Amino acid sequence: MKDSIKKEVVFNQSINQVWNAITKAEEISTWFIPADFKAEKGYKYLFTSPPNEKGCTTIGGEILEANPYVLVYTWIVGGTETETTVKWELESTAEGTKLTLEHTGISNYAGETAIEMFESFNGGWDNCINGLTSYLKETINAG
Amino acid sequence: MQDKITRLFKAIADPTRRDIFHALVIATSALSITQISNQFDMTRQGVTKHIKTLEEAGLVYINSQGRERFCNANPKELQEVNKWIKFYEQFWDDKLSSLGDYLDSKT
Repeated sequence: MKDSIKKEVVFNQSINQVWNAITKAEEISTWFIPADFKAEKGYKYLFTSPPNEKGCTTIGGEILEANPYVLVYTWIVGGTETETTVKWELESTAEGTKLTLEHTGISNYAGETAIEMFESFNGGWDNCINGLTSYLKETINAG
Repeated sequence: MQDKITRLFKAIADPTRRDIFHALVIATSALSITQISNQFDMTRQGVTKHIKTLEEAGLVYINSQGRERFCNANPKELQEVNKWIKFYEQFWDDKLSSLGDYLDSKT
């Protein structure tokens, strides 16, 4: 049974540019989710998606590792107690920078209330992602 | 939490247990320990041991009626994990594509 997700993407930018994009609160807040974040081991971070009429989802956790170029943190969706882990790893390549993202422990969601959680979370996310997309579009248009 | 996945993996790692679980999933009604023993040509003790492992993983639940114990499959445990996997697959695809756009916009 599958318990994790692994994604590999190659970016044209340098390893430091990508590292900053995934570790600096200001940058994370721009492309990912508005964040209170410090890439320091032990820091308790919080992502809060933009508010809408349904309220919004938060994701919190603790930084387990933050040494260039490996970033690992726990990932707990607000209102749940299920802990999963997200790992970002960067590697310089001839083309630029290879990012490997691994989200593990997803089978921890197995449980009686998971479907309910999923549905509310999913609805929440759709709204929040829409909000974020339009925010980004506005920013790009404005810039 | 980590124990849960360990139990789930342990339960589905054994081919006989997978067969028993499969038989319970496709059965139209609950199967008794006796029925499973006959179907798999195993002792009741052997079946009981496998069922206990499946039960601990949340894949099987048991109703006792008199002296007989009836086993039901609970495949929901696996389906729910698949839903989350699907959800996060899409989530990370979207986010990584957004990261790519962001990086491109800066350079």
